Amino acid sequence: MSLNYIIAMLLFTLGIYCLLIKRNIVKMVIGLGVLTNGLHLFLISLGYREGGIAPILAGKMLENGATAEFAAAAVDPIPQALVLTSIVINVCTMALALSLAIYIYRHYGTLNPFKIRRLRG
Amino acid sequence: MIAHAPILAIVVPLFAGFLTPVVSIVAKRFGVERARDWFVMGAAILMLLIVASMAPAVWRGEVLVYKLGGWSPPWGIVLAVDGLNLLVALIIASVVSLIAIYSVVYMERDSGLEKYYTLLMLVTAGCMGVTLTGDVFNLFVFFEIMSISSYALVAFRRNWDSVEAGIKYMIIGSLGTSFILLSITLMYGLVGSLNIADLAGKIEAIKATQPLPMIVPLMLTLFVVGFGIKIAMVPLHAWLPDAYQAAPSAVSALLSGATTTVGVYAMLRVSYMLFGALAIGTMFIILGLVTMVVGGLMALTQRDLKRLLAYSSISQMGYILLGVGFGTAMGIQGGLFHLLNNAIYKVLLFMCAGAIVYRVGTSNLDELGGLGKNMPITATLFIVGALAISGVPPFNGFASKWTIYVAGMEAGQPICTAIAVVMSALTLAYFLKAINSMFLGQQPEHLREVREAPLPMLFPMLVLAVFCVVLGILPSLGMDLVRPAQGAVMNQLGYIGSVMGAG
Repeated sequence: MSLNYIIAMLLFTLGIYCLLIKRNIVKMVIGLGVLTNGLHLFLISLGYREGGIAPILAGKMLENGATAEFAAAAVDPIPQALVLTSIVINVCTMALALSLAIYIYRHYGTLNPFKIRRLRG
Repeated sequence: MIAHAPILAIVVPLFAGFLTPVVSIVAKRFGVERARDWFVMGAAILMLLIVASMAPAVWRGEVLVYKLGGWSPPWGIVLAVDGLNLLVALIIASVVSLIAIYSVVYMERDSGLEKYYTLLMLVTAGCMGVTLTGDVFNLFVFFEIMSISSYALVAFRRNWDSVEAGIKYMIIGSLGTSFILLSITLMYGLVGSLNIADLAGKIEAIKATQPLPMIVPLMLTLFVVGFGIKIAMVPLHAWLPDAYQAAPSAVSALLSGATTTVGVYAMLRVSYMLFGALAIGTMFIILGLVTMVVGGLMALTQRDLKRLLAYSSISQMGYILLGVGFGTAMGIQGGLFHLLNNAIYKVLLFMCAGAIVYRVGTSNLDELGGLGKNMPITATLFIVGALAISGVPPFNGFASKWTIYVAGMEAGQPICTAIAVVMSALTLAYFLKAINSMFLGQQPEHLREVREAPLPMLFPMLVLAVFCVVLGILPSLGMDLVRPAQGAVMNQLGYIGSVMGAG
């Protein structure tokens, strides 16, 4: 279980490393994606439970006394909802960033952020 | 109050945004292209009316709690409106209404305007959502809606400078929002709740334990960095001058008037409400001073009007942080009053810059000159805005800066106050330079034929200038406007009680 957290942290650090070091906008965008995925893994691990069941309250669960048992076994559904939302947001960010990268290449002929510096002052 | 007013204030701009392309197609079919502009204007003004309808109840001291789907507070998402949200929502709604009027003429030479209006309304919906929500993840989602739409707006013209500014803003901004998400994740892992009032109560309980878990200051830092990028606090300001210079002036006005205001709001809400001002005052004072000084000094050397305005925008954020950082009732009042005033005169100044760009085609100060004869009204309005931002007496900037100075002296920080006064003089210096090189002096040959800006652009500028003068002559009016907000910032327990009690 702690492996999840270690990998999440590794992904997050890797993403920040990409953003700081890489000299290519597409790679920086990939770094941003890796970073967010690290966050998603962290978030989903928070709600995970060893041998847990899906948090759907139905059928036999509704009988007397079964709800406490259900609550003890079910995984936390909120992080799953949050991750789903965050994935959608991430897709939007990626799409916009990559389309901007296309325009950057058309105007500048390079994707190196250190050469895209005509705005100064 | 109109029934369901809190949710309507978010839904109206959201739906208006996605209906704009439809309205645009239908309007083109019937040969009335202006219908699209009227539709957006109507939606913005409707939103302003909805927000204003909540004002009487909130100013009486109520916290309006709107339960989405009827779920009670700790479990469901709530919208909670207190004095602070209401002030920010009023600022956003007014600024967007004026920008919608201004855009009709200013943007008419661009193509793909239905997309512009869609993005404008989406930024508005995002701002409104961040402002009105009482749920921290909901706040993050709306913050992302606002941010992503504003990246697209900055790059809207797709020429080399706007694309460059857009990608810079986007990469820095996305890093900031992922810090906010990380902080929310840590918070959920720590206390298992997402409702701001519920979280505030539980974090209060954790803070009482000794020693303080390291994770609490870490979460606060992540939030401050995330929101600090949006308000361009100094070590995190690199994107702002590029974005404001390269974006169309209407978008620069929107960014400086609406999204930075929302950034300050989110920072205040999180640091004062969630963490109960966890020794954050000193940090805000230091960050505020650094922001003020660096922004002001950088503004002095600029040769481009919009870039100069961008740096002065950073500098003004410093005043707000300073006022809020003093932590006294008067300091917070001064900071919030300055937030209101900053939205008024900054939007005015960017609109004046837009009027000059519209008529002349450049905002480079070296290529301008002697425009006072050709554009007398724009010149007058710009001078009103410039004097207001520099804190010259009969205008609103003086009233709020004076409040901050007095608060600084009362809080026992004479050095900070002295720096703020000096920076105010510096502001006047660089605005005099800008006025001198734009409206006075030798007129280049090719500027002889320049005419005054068209009326639909002058109208919103005039409204803002009137506000500058009225709030300057009657500062008590402005103080009355921000007093409920100041009360709300300092009334953490009241907010928690009202929201949790609504279940």
